[in-house]
Amino acid sequence: MTALAVPTGSGGLRARRGRLGLRVLARAGGAVFVLWAVVTITFFAVRLVPGDPALAILGGPGSQAGPEALALVRAEHGLDRPLGEQYLAALVRLAGGDLGTSYALRMPVGDVIAAQLGGTLLLAVLALAAGWAIALGLALFSTQGGRFAAAVGGAIETVAAALPQFWLAAVLIALFSTGLGWLPPVSTGTAAGLVLPVLTLAIPVAGFLAQVMRTSLLDALASPFALSARARGESGLGVRIRHGIRHAAVAGVDLSAWAFGYLVSGAVVVETVFARPGLGRSLVQAVTGRDVPLVTGIVIVVALAYILITILADAVSLVLDPRLRSEPAG
Amino acid sequence: MPRTRTRLLPGAALAAGLLAATAGCAQTAEGPEAADGGILVYASGDAEPTCLDPHVGGNYPQALAATQFLESLVSRDASGEIIPWLAESWKVSGDGLSWEFELRDGIEFTDGTPFDAEAVKTNIEHLQDPETASSTGYLAVAKVASVEAVDAGTARFHLSAPDSALLESLAQPWTAIQSPAGIARGTDANCLAPIGTGPFVVEDWVKQDRIVFTRNDDYASAPADAGHDGPAYLAGIEWRFIADAATRYAALQAGEVDIIDNAQPDTIAQADEAAGIVELDAPRPGASNRIEFNGGQAPFDDVRVREAFVRAVDVDAAIAGLFFDTAARSSSPLSSAEPLAYGDASLFEVDPEAAGRLLDEAGWTDRDDDGTRMKDGARLELRFPVSTNQSVAAEQSLFEQLAAGAKTVGFDVRIELMDLSSWYAALAANEYELVSAPYTKVGPDVLRIVYHSDSTAPAPSGYFANLAQVRDPEIDAALDAASASQGPDERAALYEQVQQRLLANYRLLPIYDQQNHFLHRAELTGVRAMPTVSTPTFLDAKLAG
Repeated sequence: MTALAVPTGSGGLRARRGRLGLRVLARAGGAVFVLWAVVTITFFAVRLVPGDPALAILGGPGSQAGPEALALVRAEHGLDRPLGEQYLAALVRLAGGDLGTSYALRMPVGDVIAAQLGGTLLLAVLALAAGWAIALGLALFSTQGGRFAAAVGGAIETVAAALPQFWLAAVLIALFSTGLGWLPPVSTGTAAGLVLPVLTLAIPVAGFLAQVMRTSLLDALASPFALSARARGESGLGVRIRHGIRHAAVAGVDLSAWAFGYLVSGAVVVETVFARPGLGRSLVQAVTGRDVPLVTGIVIVVALAYILITILADAVSLVLDPRLRSEPAG
Repeated sequence: MPRTRTRLLPGAALAAGLLAATAGCAQTAEGPEAADGGILVYASGDAEPTCLDPHVGGNYPQALAATQFLESLVSRDASGEIIPWLAESWKVSGDGLSWEFELRDGIEFTDGTPFDAEAVKTNIEHLQDPETASSTGYLAVAKVASVEAVDAGTARFHLSAPDSALLESLAQPWTAIQSPAGIARGTDANCLAPIGTGPFVVEDWVKQDRIVFTRNDDYASAPADAGHDGPAYLAGIEWRFIADAATRYAALQAGEVDIIDNAQPDTIAQADEAAGIVELDAPRPGASNRIEFNGGQAPFDDVRVREAFVRAVDVDAAIAGLFFDTAARSSSPLSSAEPLAYGDASLFEVDPEAAGRLLDEAGWTDRDDDGTRMKDGARLELRFPVSTNQSVAAEQSLFEQLAAGAKTVGFDVRIELMDLSSWYAALAANEYELVSAPYTKVGPDVLRIVYHSDSTAPAPSGYFANLAQVRDPEIDAALDAASASQGPDERAALYEQVQQRLLANYRLLPIYDQQNHFLHRAELTGVRAMPTVSTPTFLDAKLAG
C-alpha cells in the first residue's frame, strides 16, 4: 500500500513519509484491536447462549448421550475448565496462529476454512463485479436526461436495494429453475450453478451502488468540464462515459468495502439456500452446533478480509481520484 | 470421483428428464441402463453427520447414511417380525440371560476382513467403550455384559438382566456391525469411512458438501426380505446435503437429484399432482410425535389440568389444515410402525366446556385481564420450548394453533423457538410445561426409555428422556416385567397396559407419527424404507430413462 500512496505533490517528501508510516502503524494497530475484539465477542457470545457444547457434539435429535461419553468429550475439548481459563487458552492459541480443531467436523479449523474460503471468495468477487456492472448500467440509463428514465431508474434502484436475499433466491429459483428450466437450483460445480447465487447477491448490492453512482454522475454532469465537453459537441452518452464514469466509480469504490461485508453476510443465506459449500454455510452449521473454534476461526478470517478490502478500497480511490492524493494524509 | 449423469450433461439430462416426464411413456429400458447402473443423487435435509460411524453418538442422519454401507445382525420385516440378516438364527436360554447367534458363513467386510463371532464381540465392546462416545447404541446394548466367540460362526451374548428388546435393539443401524480392522484405525479414521458389509462403500466424504458411495461388487449378504441377492444395480450414490426444503424440492423437479428426504407437507401435496414424482411415506418406529405434559411440577402435576388441556385443543383440525392430508392423527404413545401400538381416540375428543369445568374443579377459577385463568395469584402459564432443528414450519404452526385453542379456556401457552442446544438446556433446567421430543427406536421398549421413572434421573448433562416426568410404580413394574418377559403374548399385554395407563392419566397428547417422507423421480424404482428405523435402502433400486 505504500507503493500506491507515494505522494506526487510538491515538497515535504520526508514529512509525508513519516505521516504515512504513522498511518500504516495506526492501521495495523487498529486491525489487531479489531481482531481481538472480534475474538472476544465471538467467544463469549457463543458460550453465553444457553446450551452445552458437549451435548451439541454428542446429542442429535432422538439420541441421549451417556454420562461417561459427556465427561470424556468435555475433557477432550477443555470444556470442564472455567470459562475465563478457556478464553485465555483460546487467545494464546490464536495468537500463535493455531485456529484449533472443529468440534463437529473433527478437522483443523484452518483446513476447513482453506477448503471453504475459495467458494465464498469466488461468489463475493463475482457478485461484486456483477453488482458493479448492473449498477453502472442503471446509473447511465437513469441519467440519460429524460424524466421518465430517472424515475424508472430510481425506482429500480430502491426496490433492488430493499430485496431480502432469501426471497430473491426463492423467486430466481422459481423463475429460472422450476419455471424455465434454464439454470440449476443447486450448486453443481459448473458455471451455470453459479449464476443464480451470484445474481441473488448482486442485485441488492447493485441497487445500493447505483443510487450512489447516479448522484455522483449527476454532480459530474453539472460541473463545468462536462458543460464544455457538451459545448464541443460530444454526445450525451459520450460525455457521461468519458467524464462522468470516473466520478461515479470513485463513489462506488468507497462503497465497495461496505458492499463486500454485505456480500459475506449474504453468503450465509445464499450458500444455505443454494446448497453451496462455503464459509457462510459453515458458519450457520457452526453456530447452531456450538462449534466455538470454527465460529471463531471463520469470524476472524472474515474480519481480516474486511480490513484488507477497506485498505484496498482506499488505495484504489487514491489512484482514481488524484485530488485525494494531493490532500495531506491523516 | 464418479460423476453424475446430470453433471456430465446438465442440459441434455434436464431436457431428457422433462421430456420423459411430460411424455409419460418413458420406456422401461432395464437392459443397458440397468446394467450400467448409474449414479443416484440423494439430497438430504437432515444435518450432515459429524461422524459416519453410527456407533459414535448415534442419531438419525447417521442412520440414513449408515444404511447404505453397514448391516446389522438382524432386521425386521414389514409386519414387524424380526428376520435374519448377518445372523442366520438365534436362540435364548430359559432364564433369558444367554443368547446364541449363528452367523452367516462366507461373508467378508469390504476391506477383506472376514465377518465372524470375533467381529461381533469387537463391535459390542466398541459400543460399550466410553471412548467411543456412543449414546444410542450404548443404551441399546446396556444389558449385554459380554460377548463370547464360541467359534467363528457362533456368538454368545451374556446379559446382566433379561432383555426382551435385545433383537429389536440389534436391528438398529446404531448397533450395526463394522470391520474390526476398520474400528482399530481409531475414531477419527473410522468416522471418515467406516467399513461394513453393505451394498455400498464409502468412497469419499467431502465435508460440508457430499459423501460418495460406490457399489460393493462382492456384496452377498442381503437381508431376508430384500428384492434380490447379490450386488446393487446402481453404480453408486452421491449423497448431498441441501438444508433448504424449497431448494431441495426445486432440485428434484429440475432433475438435479433423484430423491429427497424431509419432504414438507406442502411439497408432498404439490408432488401428488406433479408428473413424474413419487412419494414414499415411511414413519419412524419407536415413539409417536406427542406433546408431553411436565407432570413433575405445577400446574400439570394435577391430572384435571392435563385433561383440560387435551379437551381444549383441536389437534385433528390443526393437522388437516396444515399438513394437507399427509399426516394421520395418532392416538398412541407408540408409532403406527410398531405392531404393539395401542390407542384410544375417545380420550382426546374436543370439549372446551368440559375443559372449563375441569379447570374450575382444579381451583383455576379466577381470570386476569387477558382471560388467563388464575389460582392463588398464579397465572395458568405454560412454557413450551420448541426446537427449530426438530420441528418444521408446519409443526410450529400446529403448535401455535393448539396454543390458540388452549387460550379460549384460559391457558396462556408461551411457545419459545430455540436451537437444539438451547432446547436441551431448557429441558435440563426443568423450564418447560409442554414439550415435543421425538424418540426413534425399534420396538415398544422405547416406552421404558421415555416413561420409566429411572429415566427422570438426569445424566450429568442434565438431560433425561422421561420428559413427562412420569413416576408411577405401576408403570415401572409393568415395564420391568415386559423387559424380562420371554413370552410374546405376555409382553404385548404388558405394553398395552402401560399405554392404557399413560393415556388414561393424560400423561401425553399423541399427535402423529414421526414424519418421514421421501419424494423421488418416477424413473427411480425399487426404493424401499427399511422396516427397522425407516431409512431408505437402494440395494434393489434402478434408474431408468
